[in-house]
Amino acid sequence: MAEKFQEPVVDQIYTLNLGPQHPSTHGVLRVLLDLDGEFIVKADPVIGYGHRGHEKMGENRTYKQFMPNSSRMDYLSGMIYNHGYVLAVEKMAGIQVPERAQHIRVICSELNRISSHLLWFGTYVMDLGGFTPFLYAFDDRERILDILDRVSGSRLTYSYCRFGGVSRDVDVEFIEMTRAFVKRLRSRWSDYHNLVTKNIIFIHRTRDVGVITKEQASQYGVSGPNLRACGIGYDVRKAEPYENYDQFDFEIPIGEKGDALDRYKVRLEEMEQSCRIIEQALDKLPKGPVMAEKVPANVKPPKGDLYFAFESARGLTGYYLVSDGATTPYRLHIRVPSFGNLHVLVEVLKGTLMADAISILGSVDVVIPEIDR
Amino acid sequence: MPKTDEVVQKLRAMLPEDAVCADEAYKAGVAFSVLAPLGKLRDAARLFNEAGFFLETITGLDFQDTAELVYHFNCYEPKSRVAMRVLCGHDQVAPTVSDVYASAMWLEREVHEFFGIRFADNPDLRPLLLPEDADYHPLRKTFGKVNAYRKREEIYG
Repeated sequence: MAEKFQEPVVDQIYTLNLGPQHPSTHGVLRVLLDLDGEFIVKADPVIGYGHRGHEKMGENRTYKQFMPNSSRMDYLSGMIYNHGYVLAVEKMAGIQVPERAQHIRVICSELNRISSHLLWFGTYVMDLGGFTPFLYAFDDRERILDILDRVSGSRLTYSYCRFGGVSRDVDVEFIEMTRAFVKRLRSRWSDYHNLVTKNIIFIHRTRDVGVITKEQASQYGVSGPNLRACGIGYDVRKAEPYENYDQFDFEIPIGEKGDALDRYKVRLEEMEQSCRIIEQALDKLPKGPVMAEKVPANVKPPKGDLYFAFESARGLTGYYLVSDGATTPYRLHIRVPSFGNLHVLVEVLKGTLMADAISILGSVDVVIPEIDR
Repeated sequence: MPKTDEVVQKLRAMLPEDAVCADEAYKAGVAFSVLAPLGKLRDAARLFNEAGFFLETITGLDFQDTAELVYHFNCYEPKSRVAMRVLCGHDQVAPTVSDVYASAMWLEREVHEFFGIRFADNPDLRPLLLPEDADYHPLRKTFGKVNAYRKREEIYG
């Protein structure tokens, strides 16, 4: 009898292919995991499934024509990417923006940041097995999509900003809807905390899981909430204030250990800070035009280059533009935050359990099409 | 003393005169722009790493007469980004900084596949975003539809 059964296989590394269609890989990410039992020995993320050549496209269209592309890289914070792109070109071409338009842009960007974090919250908890919080988050997020749909005409890939302003003014109803949303979201925090933050299963799956140290964060260029969870309070909105972020009073939440639970707490607190910015911007919203006068139909920035950084929902994002004085950029490069945020997992996943890998992948909140560009 | 000034002081000592340009108004989004020769690239990267900078991005530029690598370093202090430019002839091989900065491993893979610039001693130059059998370099100005293929001096004068 005995010889019919194989001896248990020990000391053997085998490779598991996680993705690209796995429900927890959020987009098309494939991770080649070398496993020793249930422990990960080596992780090799394979990306590029969603490569569309945005940088090459940028070299072949005018500055204005690239506008729709800008919101299609990180489709969850399309408004912020769109906002950052117009800021970069405006800075290069020397276009002044009216104050009212600046306020509207900040409101829309912060709404977008909340909607991105809400989606992350819902899908992350769903990865960990809780379905109900997902429905709570999407209920709230839907209201943001309605508000942004009202001003921009689209629900996800907004091209609302224009060089010199925004495409159309906001009305009284937009302001009322936004105020009502902020009020409602605040009333929901206790539900969120009771459902998830205090949930013992959730705590066990996130506390001390996937710790990113400060050194790792610096070596891999980690940014955004993932970096702040390590205890480094770096936020582009404070370090290099763009638009009129220096006029608003808000805090940069930071964590202590850099584990998945800290990343979760930082993002939740960030939503509250975004609410504060939105309220202040609504209170101060000045009257006046929403478009600058005399913006040329085809922007022609002077020769030279420019790096423009801004804080998207996932972290430090930058447009690098090189102009040869023509109406199309000579080179357009985009620094995306998810690039470093995913790369660091090569190190972080080593020695963790396969089940924790799912939790860690969700907790860093990567958007793969943003890396693929 | 801010970290940027600290590292720039050391760079000034290491590099030829007028290699470091200050941009006090932060007009191009950087506090300093450094033009380093290919041979000093690794030493300069080490200086940045020791000073606590992280490597924000590496990108390439394709000109008729030369290729150019642009390294953006940054640290967690206000307005402290430094751009380091390295000219790398079309037939030259660049030294790797992947042993200095772990993040350079992927960034160099990306520059290699899109510009065809090789990095000596980088152990892993498989394509990152392109198909694994890709034998073309899409961001070269000789590939696909191109508006202008210029010499470097036409832009930077």
